[in-house]
Amino acid sequence: MSKLVPVVEATKVTKTYMLGKVPVEALRGVNLKVESGDFVSILGPSGSGKSTMLNLIGALDKPTSGTLLIDGVDISKLNDNQLAEIRLKIGFVFQFFNLIPRLTAKDNVELSMSIANMGKAERKMHAIELLETVGLKDRVNHKPAELSGGQQQRVAIARALANNPKFLLLDEPTGNVDSKTANEVLTLIKKLNIENKVSIIIVTHDQHLAREANRTVQMFDGEITSEVVNKE
Amino acid sequence: MKTIDIFGYSFSAIKLRKLRAALTTLGVVIGIAAIVALLSITQGLQATLTGQLNQGLSTNTLIVTSGSGGALGGGASGGGGGLGGGTTDNSGFKLYINYTNEIDALSSDIDSSIAVISRSGFIQTDNLNRSVTIYGVDFNQYSQIYSTTFVATSGTIPTSPTETNTVVGTRVNQPGQNGTMFFGAGDKINITWTNATVLPPVNETYTADVSGVLGKIGGFGIGGPSDTGVYIPIDKAQNFFGTDQADMIIVKLKSSDNATITNVSKAITDHFSNQVSVISATAVLSLLTSIFSILQLFLGGIAAISLLVAGIGIMNIMIVSLIERTREIGILKALGMKSRTVLTIFLGESVIIGLMGAIVGIILGWILANITARVLGSGIFGGGGGFRITPLLTPEVLVGALAFGVGVSVIFALYPAWRASKLKPVEALRYE
Repeated sequence: MSKLVPVVEATKVTKTYMLGKVPVEALRGVNLKVESGDFVSILGPSGSGKSTMLNLIGALDKPTSGTLLIDGVDISKLNDNQLAEIRLKIGFVFQFFNLIPRLTAKDNVELSMSIANMGKAERKMHAIELLETVGLKDRVNHKPAELSGGQQQRVAIARALANNPKFLLLDEPTGNVDSKTANEVLTLIKKLNIENKVSIIIVTHDQHLAREANRTVQMFDGEITSEVVNKE
Repeated sequence: MKTIDIFGYSFSAIKLRKLRAALTTLGVVIGIAAIVALLSITQGLQATLTGQLNQGLSTNTLIVTSGSGGALGGGASGGGGGLGGGTTDNSGFKLYINYTNEIDALSSDIDSSIAVISRSGFIQTDNLNRSVTIYGVDFNQYSQIYSTTFVATSGTIPTSPTETNTVVGTRVNQPGQNGTMFFGAGDKINITWTNATVLPPVNETYTADVSGVLGKIGGFGIGGPSDTGVYIPIDKAQNFFGTDQADMIIVKLKSSDNATITNVSKAITDHFSNQVSVISATAVLSLLTSIFSILQLFLGGIAAISLLVAGIGIMNIMIVSLIERTREIGILKALGMKSRTVLTIFLGESVIIGLMGAIVGIILGWILANITARVLGSGIFGGGGGFRITPLLTPEVLVGALAFGVGVSVIFALYPAWRASKLKPVEALRYE
C-alpha cells in the first residue's frame, strides 16, 4: 500500500479569540498528526482547547498561526468557499446530532450528498445503504423527533459518512446517549474503522471512551500534554 | 448544490410554517390583485371609451369653435355626449353660420363644412318631459359627414325638411332603452328652450313632427350625433333661437392623415387670427390616451405601494426565520454548503412566496376587475346605457405583475439572505 498523506497534520497551531477586548489563547502551538486509517481520541477537560481543536479540524474555523493541513491542504490559507469544499471531505458528527428536524432520516443523509452535487437517484440509494450500515434500515422515513437519541446519533454518523469522507470527526459521541446506546455507537465506530478503514477522530472529555481509540492525545490549557498509544 | 435541490430545500422550509408563509404570501396577493384589478379596469375603460369615441367620431372631421385655447373647446356638454353647449369666448369673437363659406375656401383638402347651433332644451309629449340638447343642422350635409351614425332606424331623415321636421336620438323617445317608447316617428312633440337673452327669460316652444329616430350610437360623440340629441333644420334653429351664430362648425376633410389635419387646423386658426379652437378626433383620442396613461401610472403606483408594504412583511418574516434557523444554517455550512448556496436557499423561499402570491393575486385581481366592471357598468354609467366596461388583462400587465411580485419579494429578501449567507459556522452552531 502506497504511503497516504496524513488526513490531519497540525504544526505549531495557535488560536487566539477576542473575548470582548481581552485576547484569549485557546491553542498554544499544537502539533498533531493523524494518519489515514488512524483512530485517535483527543481528551481534555472543558477549557482545555479541545473544542477549538475540533472546530479547526472540522474546517469550521482557521488557525491564528501555524499550519493545519487537512488532506494535505493548508486551511489557514483558504477562503470561505474553499473551506466549504474542504468540509465535504470531513464527516462531522455533532454532539447534539444536529439533524434537520423537518427532514426524514433518509433526507438528512441525502442532504450531505445533495450539497456535494450528487444526483437524486444515486444519493437515495446510497442514503439507504448507509442507514442500513448503521442499523437503521427500518427507520429510513422517520423524522428525528420519532427516533431515540442513539438512533439520531446513528443517522448523524450515516450523514457524516455520506460523501465518503477522509475521516470522521466525532464530538462527544456518547455524551448524549445512555450507556447501552453508547456501547452500540462505539461498536459501530470501531467497525467503521476496522472494516471500512475509515479514519476516526473523537473529541471527548470521557477517559473510558478515549481509551477505546488506538491513540489518545491529552490536551490541557491549549496544549497537548501527552500522547498515549492504547493498543497496536 | 443543484438548483432543483436548492428549491426543494427552500420549499421544505416554507412548508414547515404554512400559516406564516400563507400570511406573508397574502401581502403579495393583495398588492398584485390591486395592481391587476386597477390596471385591467382602467385599460378596459380606455378601450371602451376609445371604441365609443371611434364610433361617434369621424376621423376625417375637424370641429371649429370660437374661443382660443381649451383643447376641448367650451366643454364636452352633458346629456350623453356631443360637444356643443356654450363655448368660452373672451375676445368678443363670434363664429357665424356663414363662415362655412370662408372655411370651405381655405384649403383644397376641405370637402365641406357645416354649422351647428346647439342649445339645451326640453321636449314634451303627453307623458314625457325630458331635457335634451337641441341641434340645428343641415340634415343632408350632416348625414353625409356622419353617414354611419346619423341614420334613422325608424322613419326617415328628410332630405328637404320642412320647418317642423325633427330627428331624435334613440334615448330621447326611449330614455330607459328598455323597449318603452314614449313616441315614435310620425308623432308630434313640443320643443322648448329657455331664451335667456331677454329679461325676464322666457320659454319658447313649437310643435315639431318627428320624422325619424336614430339608431343607437353609444356613449360619446364629439360633434357627431348623440343618443340624447334632438335635430332640427338649421334654418328653423336660426329663427327659433334668434341667432345667426354657430356654436361649432364641423369641417369634413378629404383625407384623415395627420398632415392634412395639422395643415387644415392651422389654416383655420390662422384665418380667424387664433380666435377659434380646432379639435380633431385624432387629437381627442391622443389626449384621451395620455390621460389614461397618467391615470394608469397613478393607480398602478398606489397599488404598488401596497406591494412594497408586502415586501417589508417578507423582509421582516425572513429576518425572523433567519434568527430561528441560525443553527440550521450552521449545520448546512458545517456539512460543506457554500455561502452563496445559503443565499440562494433564502432567495428561493422569497421567489416561491412571490410567485405564488403573484399567481393568486393575478387571478384574484382579474375576478375583482370583472366584479367591479359589472357593478360600474350597471350602476354609475346609467343602467342599460350601452356602457359596458370589459376589463382588459394585457400580456404586459400579466407578465409585469408576475415579475413585479417576484421582484419585490426577492429584493426585500436580499438583506436577510445575505445575512444568512454571512453567518460564521462556529457561531451559528453555538446559537441556541
